[in-house]
Amino acid sequence: MKRFMYIVSTLFILMAGCTRQDENVIRIGAAGPMTGDQSKMGVDLRNAVELAVAEWNEKGGVMGKKIVLLPADDQADPKQAVSIANKLINQKAVALVGHWNSSCSIPASKYYQDANIIMISPATTNPQLTLQGFKNIFRVCGTDDQQGKVAAEFVLKTIRPKKIAIIHDKTAYGQGLADYFKRALGDRVQIVYYGGIIQRDPDYKAVLTTIKQSNPELYFFGGIYPEAGRLVRQAKEIGMNIPMITGDGVYDPTFINIAGTSAEGTYLTFGAEPAGLPSAKSFMDKYKAKYGDPGPYSIYAYDAANIILTAIAETRNTDGSNMADYISKTVFHGAFGDISFDKNGDVTKAPYVIWQVKGGKFVEIK
Amino acid sequence: MFTQQLINGLALGAVYALIALGYTMVYGILQLINFAHGEIYMLGAYLGIIVLGVLTTLGFTAYSLPLSLLLTLIISMLFCAAYGAVIERVAYRPLRNASKLAPLISAVGMSIILQNFVMLAQGKEYKNLPPMLPSQGVVIFGANVSPVQIFILTASVLIMVGLQFFVARTRLGKAMRATSQDRVMAGLVGININQVISITFMIGSSLAAVAGVMVTLYYGVVHFFMGYMAGIKAFTAAVLGGIGSIPGAMLGGFMLGLIENFGASYISSVYKDAFAFVVLIITLIIRPAGLLGQKSADKV
Repeated sequence: MKRFMYIVSTLFILMAGCTRQDENVIRIGAAGPMTGDQSKMGVDLRNAVELAVAEWNEKGGVMGKKIVLLPADDQADPKQAVSIANKLINQKAVALVGHWNSSCSIPASKYYQDANIIMISPATTNPQLTLQGFKNIFRVCGTDDQQGKVAAEFVLKTIRPKKIAIIHDKTAYGQGLADYFKRALGDRVQIVYYGGIIQRDPDYKAVLTTIKQSNPELYFFGGIYPEAGRLVRQAKEIGMNIPMITGDGVYDPTFINIAGTSAEGTYLTFGAEPAGLPSAKSFMDKYKAKYGDPGPYSIYAYDAANIILTAIAETRNTDGSNMADYISKTVFHGAFGDISFDKNGDVTKAPYVIWQVKGGKFVEIK
Repeated sequence: MFTQQLINGLALGAVYALIALGYTMVYGILQLINFAHGEIYMLGAYLGIIVLGVLTTLGFTAYSLPLSLLLTLIISMLFCAAYGAVIERVAYRPLRNASKLAPLISAVGMSIILQNFVMLAQGKEYKNLPPMLPSQGVVIFGANVSPVQIFILTASVLIMVGLQFFVARTRLGKAMRATSQDRVMAGLVGININQVISITFMIGSSLAAVAGVMVTLYYGVVHFFMGYMAGIKAFTAAVLGGIGSIPGAMLGGFMLGLIENFGASYISSVYKDAFAFVVLIITLIIRPAGLLGQKSADKV
């Protein structure tokens, strides 16, 4: 019994030691899908935040404290997202960059708000995220209603089809985007098919054959690149030679790898190319040197991390609502240009442009 | 459109049927549901992508695509057969005379080990293979049949005919049937039971390997978790056809592929996965022995 008490008390002392030691650091979370089929996005996000944190630590951290990055894997699963949100809160993170998926960001945001933590999503485009009235929740990308509108205008002005089919992956992002696209089209074009597919299902030929039957000139897909890649590939295999138009979730080279030449001609909406921006040059160079080519959302994640760290440095405070006040009133000079937020926490300008796959690459259509 | 869905369903069904054969053969001989079988299929798919990748880098696929596909199939089948035999030796043989639940749990454990092994060795991401065969195929009755679909359908039918011949006509096939009827008695008349069981596992596993390579060519993506859903669906196909019956597994596989495809196109694509399990439940209620299965009560 005596020995047992020794062990227990030693453990307590060790645990107490741990917490005391860690008081001198500031913890920032980076949450996204780090495993699973969308893992590239989560890893891209984490790398960018890691880069920002390393830069700040080189300059001596913030408020004289070192910054520690807490990577968190939500596996693109809403249940997992809530569980890691609680984990980050228990680990005393003061802010986080993430999550990536709308279906993860929305349920997790409530926990961050309740714990008075700042959350900036680099990629969640579902409008619902910032419409919940949470002061601490921001995003540095555009929203799906803006994106759906841009896609719909492009379709109506440039392609001018008579019939369109719409598919989505049943997620908050995919279905949300499909719905905004459909709403923006209004009754100006006939929608011959509207329906969902199962994420991770390898075979979409059944639904594609049904669509082919109704002879649309174009089909829209609301979803992410693994499914989009399989869709365009299988569409060509059943002899459906019409282009797909899709959203920012498909903007990744993996899409072209999966689909091969079937990807040619696919349209998608995404932010303007950052490579040409002078402000982005330093980020692009550093990221490339350390991790290879940046992912589509790396630059957004980098800016989000810098906004958080700037807010801590300027307010000299890690209190969530203080930082939220500062963030919502300030214009930040990010790698992707100037960023300021509206009253909901959305960026004031969200420039979506149309891209197309040409010669195995994404090319911006001017 | 009907013919297109028919072809899509048959191609999907051929894959289910090939995996289901492994389930049914092992069940026929050991009354064991080999839950690690879906993982063997996954290994086959990974081997397909690896071997094809190596052959492409060596420039062999550019030299002769049919020969490379054949080589990929053979290598993948050999590897998976070895895996099947080892799994049987390590996880099931020591438990052969234990209660029926013990090897079942061992099978689930084996499945988890294999999944995690592949996840650690090959990574958690989707691995993808660019399309090897042209996507434009021949048009038959208004349906576009792609070269991969033709490959899947011909190869699987040939293999099934070969298997049926092997089990019905050869000496080893006879030994297999004898072992499935009565293990102890077959042993007493001089059949090497252990060898027969090992061979059953090897055949079942190499069929799963063929299915894996086909799926790699068909969809172009593999993932360490892909064996789970495919395994459950193939198991459903085996139960639908009558578990333990080889023609039953073939019939069940093709039927399941067709049901999924027609269900997804005429009812709702969102419930595609659910159709398989609705079929499983209905089969178990109405005809527990399956379409071609025999009642097992007469086995004494």
